[in-house]
Order: sequence, then structure tokens, then C-alpha cells
Amino acid sequence: MVQNDTVSPRLTIRILIVDDSSLVRLYYRNILERAGFEVEQAINGIEAIERVQAQAFNLVVVDVNMPKMDGFSFLRALRRSAPSVATLPALVITTESSQHDLDDARSAGANFYLVKPVSEADLLRHAAILTGRQNERIA
Amino acid sequence: MPFVKREVSGPATEDGPRQEPLESTIAALRSLDAETRWSAARALGGRAKAVTALADALSKEQIPHVQEAIITALMRIGNEASVMALLPYLRSQDAGQRSAVIEALQALPGAVLPFMASLLGDPDSDVRILATELTRTLPEDDTTRLLCELLEREQHSNVCAAAVDVLAEVGTREALPTLRSCAERFAGTPFLPFAVSVAIARISGTES
Amino acid sequence: MAGLEAEQIRPTQLTQEEVRRVCEFLYRRTGMVFADSRRYYIDRRVAERIAATQSDSFRSYFSVLRSDANHEIEHLVNAFTINETYFNREEHQLRCMTSSLLDNIVGVRDRREAIRIWSIPCSTGEEPYSIAMWLMEHWSEVDSYNIEIVASDIDTRALKAGAQGIYSERALMRLSQNVISRYFEPLPDSRYQIHPGLIDSVQFTRANLIDSRDMARYRGFDIIFCRNVLIYFDDSSRRIAAENLYDCLRPGGYICLGHSETMSRISSLFRVCSFSEAIIYQRPEADHGAK
Repeated sequence: MVQNDTVSPRLTIRILIVDDSSLVRLYYRNILERAGFEVEQAINGIEAIERVQAQAFNLVVVDVNMPKMDGFSFLRALRRSAPSVATLPALVITTESSQHDLDDARSAGANFYLVKPVSEADLLRHAAILTGRQNERIA
Repeated sequence: MPFVKREVSGPATEDGPRQEPLESTIAALRSLDAETRWSAARALGGRAKAVTALADALSKEQIPHVQEAIITALMRIGNEASVMALLPYLRSQDAGQRSAVIEALQALPGAVLPFMASLLGDPDSDVRILATELTRTLPEDDTTRLLCELLEREQHSNVCAAAVDVLAEVGTREALPTLRSCAERFAGTPFLPFAVSVAIARISGTES
Repeated sequence: MAGLEAEQIRPTQLTQEEVRRVCEFLYRRTGMVFADSRRYYIDRRVAERIAATQSDSFRSYFSVLRSDANHEIEHLVNAFTINETYFNREEHQLRCMTSSLLDNIVGVRDRREAIRIWSIPCSTGEEPYSIAMWLMEHWSEVDSYNIEIVASDIDTRALKAGAQGIYSERALMRLSQNVISRYFEPLPDSRYQIHPGLIDSVQFTRANLIDSRDMARYRGFDIIFCRNVLIYFDDSSRRIAAENLYDCLRPGGYICLGHSETMSRISSLFRVCSFSEAIIYQRPEADHGAK
């Protein structure tokens, strides 16, 4: 479990995972929940937009290179949303062959990227940084 | 109350679709006006003689919703020629186009089956990934056989991951040995061993 | 949960993995989510469907489900959901209509041109009447415009019931007492009769979403409510229905889908508009096809 060194009360950090593969979503969910994050899922960009409007999240992890979903459209729609939602940090997952999409990812509003397959350590490190928990000791 | 009623025009039609003359509809596919092309594409759905014209139109069409209508029209024809017209777009740079074509091809499992072995062996790993998605709507024995053949030789971990994802949903017991050896080959890598263990559990738990 | 027993007769209990397969399939196909807490309930409903389809194993049932033979997906989903309609269902879309959509629609409109709203499928009429009542209760400009409400369904018995306008108390559960007393008359058998003025305000017609010839009679709509039907269509029918609906809309017109229908790839033809109340799809204004 993640332990908080500071005196402030521990807040719920909620992460939205967006990927059309149920196995990938399960993989990320297991890692993040074990580390104490609260996790929700969406299967495509439109569902993801509905989720972020309905509930507060601290981070969205979104795959951009999938057959049935365009992660870039989601990002663009996200950045066009109401201010409370538009500033949501976004960790983008790409595949090797789409690394040339990185400029697209940045201009669509991604904060950071990782390349598939994603290791547990990389996912946790970036989730911690992007949700502002990098000072917390991970047990 | 501020509501008005107006008769919905035209008689209700119970008979079959009126067949517009093929030549003029095909000609309308080349119109400079997008809505004319849209209507023409829609009218050609299911008309096998229009495959070549539709394929040609798709190669030139820039407007997304007209592309969609052409893809739907080809899907409704659904024969080998229309599958061949759609397949090249699996390589499209346009995500929307790739998505539309996958959806159309997924609706044609019988017509697509003869092409699957070749697609799953395509030199481009992105095409192989999309091809695994196409196996989702095939009969489970075909899906299992095709994806096991892929997994036996596949080097690219993301392609394997895509295949394992489909097998978790559709795979039969026949896939278990191949899945186990895939996990061994990729032992120590981040995601694949986990994915294989879930697929094995999923298959074992449903195949008593 | 007990594992699957080897039985001569068809299985009555599902394994965890079987439940997971069904849940993941339904989620991918329809967008519906089933919490772990509903696991037992799901188990029972799927077992019922295995029996109903005379499948001799989970595996053969799952094949039936995947191929959607005889509309099995719809049968299974209906087994889970309490399949009743009621007034003011998905109220957030009605709110979006009066707080956002109508402003955009009337913005560039001649006052004499009617605003056209379509409810399809309308089932037994709760949706079109809800739209009418909502407009009267919540839209300040309701008396400044002519509004046309068309209600269509493939089921003529449902249409007949809608035109009669008699409803159970349960159907009114989301309505306030004020609204009920304004628009309904209680009947002796504890059902309610909707105001004849409302019945006169709605045009009921028979229409089939997949029949392009049928749908060609409907043009120039500003808002279409097409909720919770596209998810039951196979890919082929859904594409055709989406293209039909596109043709029925005015450029710039809106279409409202059911809340779990993000799976329907209708977004490829339409712009996604995310309002604070709801996500609504829009036929693009000019013919640029911009996404």
C-alpha cells in the first residue's frame, strides 16, 4: 500500500484506464489497485469522455494505437471540455511503430507517454509523478 | 399546446427496394457533389455489379461520411470481390477508415475466412494486429486454429498480445499448449505472461 | 461459487470464468457494465438462457451468444434489465435539449419554421409524451415556435397503446405531483390517462430503422431520440440504421442515444458534442465532413 509521509489526510486518487483490450485493462488495474489507486475503466474514447465528465479523476491512461478507438480524438475532445476536466493529466500509451505519433500526442495534449508493453515499474512511476504522489513512499 | 401535426409524406412501402438503374447510379458516384455521391453509394448497397465502381470510388473519396457509405455498400454486397476491395484499407493511415473497414469485415466472417491466414502472416505487424481482431467473429474452432498458428511463429509481443486477447474470449482447449509455450517464450517480459495466464484460466474455466 | 459439475443435463451453474466471459463480451458489444456484486444474478440469468436456447453446454451457448443467433444478445440483456419504460427516462438528455440544443437550433431559424423532433423507437409513447411535457414545463420559448413531435416504432401494438395514452402508476414514478395533475387524469383502476391534448400533439407512425425506403419519408429533423435500440443491432444493421438516421436529420441536427451506447460506432458519421448534461451526436452543419 502507498503510505503518505505528509500530515495531510490521504485523498482518493482516481485513475481512468482507456483501452479496448480487457486483458490490458485488467493488467493496469491490478497494478494500480495494488498500489492504492482507485481505478475505473473505459473501452473507447467516447465512453472515456462520459466518465471524466461524470466523475473526478486525477489521471487518464489512454492507448492511442488501437483498431477501434482513436485516442487522439479523445485527447482533443478532453482538452476542449470544461476547465475542470480539460486539465486532467493524460498518460498516453503508444506502440513502437507509432512512435512517430509522439508529436501528434503532444499537440493533442498528452502529458507523457509510454511504449507498449508497459512494465509495472514504469506504470507506477509515471502514475505517481502525474498524480503528484512522487514524494510518497511506496511500500 | 404549441404542437403541430403534419402528415408524414409518401405511402408506407412494404415491397422490396426499388432498383435504380445501375448505370446512372454508378455515374452519380463520380459526382462533384458529396451528397450525390453519398446517396449513390447508399443506393448501391447489395448490388454485386457495383463492386468495381465502389472500390474505385473509395480510393478517391475524401469526405469521411461518404467513405462510410461506400464501405457499408461493399459490406452489404459481402462477396469475395467486396472483401478484396476493403482489405487494402487495413493499411490506411486514417484510423477512422481502418475502424470502419474492420467493422465491415467483421460482419462478413464467411467471406473473410479464406483471407485470414495470409493477413495473419502479413509482413506489417500493425496489419497482423488488426487481422487478429477480425478473427473475433469467426467460429471458435477457426479462430483457435488460426491464432495458434500465429502464436507458434510470432516474434512481435504486441501481436501476440492481440491474439491472446481474442483467445481469452473465444479460444478453445486446443489453444492451451500453444498459450503455455508462448508464455515461456516471453517469460520475463511485462505483459504477455500475465495475459496468457488470464487466457488459460478463462479457457479452462469454460471448457469442462 | 461452486465449479461446474459434470452433468448429463445442461448446466445450471456457471463458473467464475464463464461469468467473466459473458460480462466482457456484453461490455464490449453493448457497453453495459455488471458489478461483481451482481455476479450471482448474472449466473442465474445466463443459466436460464442456456436452457431457453437448449444449449447443452456453456460453450455452445456462448457460440450462440457471439453470433447473436435469433437475437440472443437482446434476450440475454432483457433477462437482466427490468424492461419497463417510464416517463422522463434519462432526464439529463431532456435537460440538455432545453438548456443547450434548442438554443443552437433556433439560433439561425425563421420563427415560422417548425422545430421537428422524432422519437424512434417510441414504444408505448412514454418518450414522445415526456418530450412534449418537458418542453412545456421547461422551455421558455415553447409558445414562440411550432413544434412537431413524431413518434415511430416497428411494433403497431405499441403504437396503438401510445395513441391511447393510458399508463400504470409505475410509469409515472419520475414525474412530480404537479406534472401528473396537469397532464394526467386518474382512472378508476389506478392507471392514468394522459391529456387528450397531448395525444393530439404527437404523430404516431410505423417505421423500421433499417428500411431505407421507409426512412426516406422522414427528413429535416432537428432532434432525434433513438435510445437503446442500436445496441441490439448487428454491425451490418447498425451501419445502415446510422446512415438512415443521418439522412433524416437536418444538417446541424442532433441525435440522442441511450446512455450505454458508446459502442455504437455512430460517431463516425456524426460529430460528438459533449455538453455538461449529456453527450449528444450531431450531423455536421456544412458538408465538410470535419470530425
